[in-house]
Amino acid sequence: MHDPAPHNDPLAVNPPPWDYNPSGWRQRVPICLLAMVAFVIAAYMALYQWRLIGSVWDPVFGSQSRDVLDSDVSETMRHWMGIPDAALGAFAYLGDAVFGLAGSTRRWQYRPWIVILFGLDVIPLGIVSAVLVFMQGAVVGAWCFPCLVTAVISLVLVYWAYDEVWSCLRYLYVVWQRTHSYRILWKTIWGQATPEADAAAKAFLEMRRS
Amino acid sequence: MWPHVVEAMLGCWLILSPFIFAHPAERPAWWINDMASGSAIIAFALVSYWPPLKRMHLASIAVALWLIGFGYFSESFSSPAMQNDMVLGLLIGMLAIIPSEANRPPDSWREFRGGKS
Repeated sequence: MHDPAPHNDPLAVNPPPWDYNPSGWRQRVPICLLAMVAFVIAAYMALYQWRLIGSVWDPVFGSQSRDVLDSDVSETMRHWMGIPDAALGAFAYLGDAVFGLAGSTRRWQYRPWIVILFGLDVIPLGIVSAVLVFMQGAVVGAWCFPCLVTAVISLVLVYWAYDEVWSCLRYLYVVWQRTHSYRILWKTIWGQATPEADAAAKAFLEMRRS
Repeated sequence: MWPHVVEAMLGCWLILSPFIFAHPAERPAWWINDMASGSAIIAFALVSYWPPLKRMHLASIAVALWLIGFGYFSESFSSPAMQNDMVLGLLIGMLAIIPSEANRPPDSWREFRGGKS
């Protein structure tokens, strides 16, 4: 998909290896919308675990959903973490949307820390939680359709979000390669301008042509 | 600036929480905790609109950690009131990380680029 930088946005550039801007709104807003869908589903399950609602709608596995949400695994996690596991999941999906919305259309360069935080929330957390959900049948002996839907959404979010994180990490690697300075790398991650980081970004953007 | 608006709204919810969750009168700590934390979060969020104090929202992270700890270490942590404190702490902590003017490049880079953006 070729997504030329709009003329009214001087920040928008296409960082390698992409021919679109993964920090652009066209890329980020769909991620936030899908994350909010998962947020609503997870929050719905949390409402059941809090017993604010009496049952969970599951068109495929029926009452098995309730067995999963009331399982010993879930109760143990609730005891450790203080709040129901679905509430924590809802919080993580909301985080995907909040960190997805924060930052300019060039945040891979100007605020790497937000992209990294966003990436940590979407990618490792998303994969781990999806794997845990898919293991449900084996561990709990019951299946939960809404949980599986959120797990699939997690994996789609990973696929949609990795491009920006990849560009950001490659840019930081270029900064490191050119300076070998922890101080400049640290400043760059936290959004402090330095001539070295600016030069590194220019070199990074040139890498497409080589 | 949108995170600060949400933080202020969540602060209002915290101030109302003692009434919503019917805190018992013999638990004055619950009343004080929710109302004081809510007031502090509203203050930090709104003060962040004034450029010299635009990082003040970071103080809400401390309040958020306090709220999470208050709920987590309470002997009745599974009560609705304490669940509310933990969830609000998580939400406010997440929003308070977001910088003011989050959708523009940071000041440092704006100055570096000489106002080109």
